[in-house]
Amino acid sequence: MAVSELQSEKGAPEATLAKASGRKTRRSVIVIDRAVDWIINVGGISVIVAVFGIMAFLVNVVVPLFTGGSVGARVENSVPAANGNVLMSRIDEYKTLFLTVTDRGTIRAVHVPTGTTVFEDRFDFGDAVATAFGATFARDQVAFGFADGTVRFAKIDVRVEVVTPDKVPATARRLDQRDRADAGSVYSTLDARQVRKLSLAIALDAPQPIAGSQGIRALDFRVGGTVERPTRTFATVDIDGVVRLSRSETRVNLLTGATTTRVATSALPDLPRDINLVKTLITEQADQVYVAEASGTIYRFDTRDFTAPKLAEVVDLLPADLRLTAVGFLIGEQSLVIGGSDGRVEVYFRLQQAGARTSDGYALVKAHALDPHGAAVVAFDKSARTKSFATADADGNVWLRHATSDQTLLKLKRSDASTGVIEAMAIAPRDDAILIATTDDRYTLWDIAVPHPETTWAAIFGKKWYEGYPEPVFTWQSSSGTDSFEPKFSLVPLIFGTVKATVYAMLFAVPIALLAAIYTSEFVNRRTRAVVKPAMEMMASLPSVVLGFIAALILAPIVETWIAAVVWAFVVIPTGLLVGALVWQALPRSTVSALGEAPKLVVMTATVLLTVYVAAATAPAFETVFFGGDFKAWANGDIGSDAPFLMLIVFPAMFAVALRAFDAWGGANYQNVTSRLARAQAGAADAARWIVLVVTALVVSYVLAGAMIAVGFGPREGIVDTYVQRNTLIVGFAMGFAVIPIIYTIAEDALNSVPEHLRAASLACGATPWQTATAVILPAAASGVFAAIMIGMGRAVGETMIVVMAAGNTPVIEWNVFSGLRALSANIAVELPEAVKDSTLYRMLFLAALALFVMTFVVNTGAEIIRQRFRKRAAQL
Amino acid sequence: MTAELTNPTAADAASRTARSKRRTATDFAAEGEPFVWALGGALAIGILMIVGFLFLVMWNGVVTFFPKTIAVVTAGNGDVFAGEPVRSEQYRPTAEALAALQPTARAKIATADGFAGRTLYRVGNYDLYGEDFRWVADHDVRRVEYPAGLMLVERLEWGPFIGTIKAVTTGGGAARPAAEIGTAAIDAAHATARERWERIHRIERGDIGAVNHWLDKERLRLRKVELADGIDSAGYRTAERRFAEREAVLKQDYDRLAAEAAALRAEDAKDTITFADIGGKEKTIALSAVVRMYAANDLGLAAKLGVYFSRWWEFLADVPREANTEGGVFPAIFGTFVMTLLLVIAVTPFGVITALYLREYAKQGRLVSIVRISVNNLAGVPSIVYGVFGLGFFAYIVGGTIDQLFYAERLPSPTFGSGGLLWSSLTLALLTVPVVIVATEEALAAVPRSMREGSFACGASKWQTIRYVVLPRAMPGIMTGVILAMARGAGEVAPLMLVGVVKLAPELPIDGFFPYIHLERSFMHLGFHIYDVGFQSRNSEAGKPMVFVTTMLLIALIAVMNASAIIVRNRLKRRFMGSQF
Repeated sequence: MAVSELQSEKGAPEATLAKASGRKTRRSVIVIDRAVDWIINVGGISVIVAVFGIMAFLVNVVVPLFTGGSVGARVENSVPAANGNVLMSRIDEYKTLFLTVTDRGTIRAVHVPTGTTVFEDRFDFGDAVATAFGATFARDQVAFGFADGTVRFAKIDVRVEVVTPDKVPATARRLDQRDRADAGSVYSTLDARQVRKLSLAIALDAPQPIAGSQGIRALDFRVGGTVERPTRTFATVDIDGVVRLSRSETRVNLLTGATTTRVATSALPDLPRDINLVKTLITEQADQVYVAEASGTIYRFDTRDFTAPKLAEVVDLLPADLRLTAVGFLIGEQSLVIGGSDGRVEVYFRLQQAGARTSDGYALVKAHALDPHGAAVVAFDKSARTKSFATADADGNVWLRHATSDQTLLKLKRSDASTGVIEAMAIAPRDDAILIATTDDRYTLWDIAVPHPETTWAAIFGKKWYEGYPEPVFTWQSSSGTDSFEPKFSLVPLIFGTVKATVYAMLFAVPIALLAAIYTSEFVNRRTRAVVKPAMEMMASLPSVVLGFIAALILAPIVETWIAAVVWAFVVIPTGLLVGALVWQALPRSTVSALGEAPKLVVMTATVLLTVYVAAATAPAFETVFFGGDFKAWANGDIGSDAPFLMLIVFPAMFAVALRAFDAWGGANYQNVTSRLARAQAGAADAARWIVLVVTALVVSYVLAGAMIAVGFGPREGIVDTYVQRNTLIVGFAMGFAVIPIIYTIAEDALNSVPEHLRAASLACGATPWQTATAVILPAAASGVFAAIMIGMGRAVGETMIVVMAAGNTPVIEWNVFSGLRALSANIAVELPEAVKDSTLYRMLFLAALALFVMTFVVNTGAEIIRQRFRKRAAQL
Repeated sequence: MTAELTNPTAADAASRTARSKRRTATDFAAEGEPFVWALGGALAIGILMIVGFLFLVMWNGVVTFFPKTIAVVTAGNGDVFAGEPVRSEQYRPTAEALAALQPTARAKIATADGFAGRTLYRVGNYDLYGEDFRWVADHDVRRVEYPAGLMLVERLEWGPFIGTIKAVTTGGGAARPAAEIGTAAIDAAHATARERWERIHRIERGDIGAVNHWLDKERLRLRKVELADGIDSAGYRTAERRFAEREAVLKQDYDRLAAEAAALRAEDAKDTITFADIGGKEKTIALSAVVRMYAANDLGLAAKLGVYFSRWWEFLADVPREANTEGGVFPAIFGTFVMTLLLVIAVTPFGVITALYLREYAKQGRLVSIVRISVNNLAGVPSIVYGVFGLGFFAYIVGGTIDQLFYAERLPSPTFGSGGLLWSSLTLALLTVPVVIVATEEALAAVPRSMREGSFACGASKWQTIRYVVLPRAMPGIMTGVILAMARGAGEVAPLMLVGVVKLAPELPIDGFFPYIHLERSFMHLGFHIYDVGFQSRNSEAGKPMVFVTTMLLIALIAVMNASAIIVRNRLKRRFMGSQF
């Protein structure tokens, strides 16, 4: 038909005839043929390329996680000498202004790209020179301490406004292409309509005397309270070694606008008189005060109770011959970074420890030791967004590091033109630049990009010691409410979740699918198979969202109530089937062959249903005997003993051993005996044999279970622990619906494609169907069956909706079958919609997807290769 | 067989028994019956799983919309409440609960191995009680009655109300008791109020929506000119003038429509209805806020079926309300349908071309077999991975570029630069393309070589052979592949969660505004609807019936697709069977 159509429509025969007779094929035919040729080749190849492009794309997104940082443009300028010692340096958000504050109160703002001073002012200290200095974390509020025992607070704000171009004063002088300056403000042209105005606002408060102070050597403070009633908590160290904690509270009178400030001071336990002080630090909540001494000794005061502060801990962090040269907090003000005169850089934080020899039960613990510098650490600054920080050494090296991931992100060096020592360093608020100032009155700014400082291979796949954690752990926790929260990106708990879900799903699905496939292929006639196989395959078309919904909202509550019955069913159903088989084999042959195969399957189904009912009915008794009457309390470890449950677990193995042992030692005799009996009697004898075997196996398993418990092995706190409603048991069962049909179909196809002549030969030699199946068909189809299992596993690994809905999504690492899990796939589905494009979380989720892709691709490719080999072999048989 | 041996004489029998026993020797180890039962039992479990599952879904789905009777329960402590019984179950009371019980009840529970029965009632009246469901233990029930006259009222807000009609106000007059007005008049007033409400809805959603749409269009046009010519250009000034004119006209339209809607609303507010719950607590709502009400315990079968089918119609044809837990799923059905259609349009040519390339054009060798294995395996790559790719590549990279090139005036709000219908269908097309490739390849391979050779021998070119000989014969296989791809695509949810499905899309992807098909819009999907209602809603119990019906619908949709794949395959097979030589 198709051919005739061709002839009538296109007149191809004429063309052929024409060719034969020397005439040409019609031009349109050739053109179309060529065009289609081209389209199909290009189309086909491009689809294949596209398909592989997926992997390339995922890799492309993931790679920046591991590339550390990059350095962009670099600016170097010199500035006029400062009036006094530089106490603080800072750059603004837009890397436009470089601010310095000196001990004589001079504030200077330098335009970074050009080095022009655009603003210079002075806090009026009179003739005094500040002897101590402190700043808040953002460094917009500062405090100066003086030799007369007073403290003065000040504000240095960089105000940002976006204005229209006509607001720029005509008198503004041009600094560079983009910027103009006028009267202490810098105008940066953004586009035709917008100009960004940066201006400096400074204010100095009146001196606040600290009661009893003889002169202040060191100072740090933090602000708190509300807008109407701001508080400042500050720690001061006097020249005579007295540490004081003060809190000033300012009240604004709403009617008059007048402010009143009250200061309360309490003295901390004294320090030794002659210490060589480096710095004092106070935490965000003002609950800890640290005083660092040059020898490396840290005095930690517990100031949670303002009125009764205590010296909590004195700890020496450095060997005797070294000096402490830099110290400071990271974001969150829990981690303390110290730099030593030998170039070492270490991160400490406070941990609750059982045997701590401190008054508050906490101790400083060295959590990270980072790459040491070659020379003394001279400067330190922290990032305002991540646990990154920069350290500079006496040779002019500037290294940007990340505390938690222990990595050095960037290594910079001041130019050789500069000879001075780095005296100040500042990381830009957006982590996009580092600025250093050297003693020869030069400064250098590097544009940097460090988008993902927290990720390294080790951080993603290894244990990491996060701030405040008692030990290095695998953790996935991508977000939280607080700003100083550090996201924890370890894929290990997620990979574990995927593996756990897969393992338990396969434990449930593989036996059912394989046994059912063997039965369908070998013990059922064609008509029955034509019904049964499509029915099982129908399972595959159930959307996983439906499976997840039923599992989580319908099944989970039922299983929770009937958990003992569910566990009991694992015992009762096999037992029921065994009983059914024993009865069946004792039936006269004529009855059996009259019944046929389909009714036998119906009887089996009825047996399963009956045993399910029996399991439900007898579950309470089972629960009482095995689990002390309450399964969940038992699983929790509250009541009962491990022995009965352990016995159930080891029973299958013991039963197999008993069966083997019987065959080896008594099998031949037994066969001789039964072969002389009538079928009914032989059936009874065989039933007796099975019962004896089961009882023997039970006894042996009980003894073994007792022995295992005696040596300290128990299932609880291992595979059985606290019961959670949405757990792996539910996931495994629901996933069974997704996996069973796949394994079943492919395995059945493999068994079925074993050539018929093998089967016929085996049966003709007198083998029973059971012997044929186990000794001939299964070995021949083994590789195909194995491939089926692997393909099923691939599906289980990637299944998403079921685990999203039924697994509870807690990223725990434990094998407990009654607890939840968080799988890679579920994690992607839950978190990716909220992840900001190109953020670390976004890329981490792409990495998770890549991991899934690779895992399933490897498993499937392996299965496919095995399957093709099997096909070739099956064809040769 | 042993039975026949009993008849002959004893001596003869003895010798024959000995012989026949050898012949019919019972070797149970060889038969392995217990093992065979283990195999069969596994198959039985598998079949029971699927049958039980389908039965569970079907049963719950089918009965959901059938009106239930309302029970008035008097609890042990004298509390009286009315509610629809939802389901009963066995549970284990906690130790504290047991201790507080009467000794007789306690003894009864003890004999039942610690299990007690309880029933879940849907009591409704969320605005009065703060809960819509209540569990009542069997031993706590003093009396259950089914009195006539109790109404179940489905409302636009706060879920159902269970109680009686107290009074009705029409046209702003005084409230008149329900008994005085009569059921028929109430129903008539309700119908009028609903009609008016529909009209308000049409004006607010449809007409005012259109005005806003045009206004938005004008604004974007202005912005486009601004981006192209700059704010100081003459072109911009002309556009600005034009915009002002158009804006004035549209504003006028808007005001007129808004006034009309306001008038209707004022009228609507005059018709109210007052209900009283079983305890006498009253609640007055607008008559138009009542979707449906019926006296649950007085309905005959015909009336019940009427309510049943009207609920089905609402479910299939209406939009969702109450955070998707009530109303209909029409947008989700529509979204699923349009997406699947686009999926087929995208997947078929690519799948078929690739298969043609692999089977007919590429040189068969190691490379092609590697490619074939890879394509096979891509069918096994988790769907969520495709979702991640779709989001990162289609939405962010391709979509972002399209936005910058063609929709710059809308930035920074994305047009194609975020998830949407097009990206969803392309992602699913990518996901299902291996299915089509594999099916098509198999179909192409099944076309006998002789037919190709015959065609070539007749002088047909390669493409002519493929077009007129190979493809028609491979058609059943290709169709099967495409339909299976559709079925798989329609059931996938995980990747869609990343590339464009939303819980509530106010606009359908196809509407009356140019260009009529809005491929960039996000859409609703049946599968995601199940996830959303089951897991994200205020009360998962209230959403459960809805989820079951949606589940049934989705399974039915997929079953229809799968069945049609089989039918198409069989029919086409038969058609082309005859064409063999």
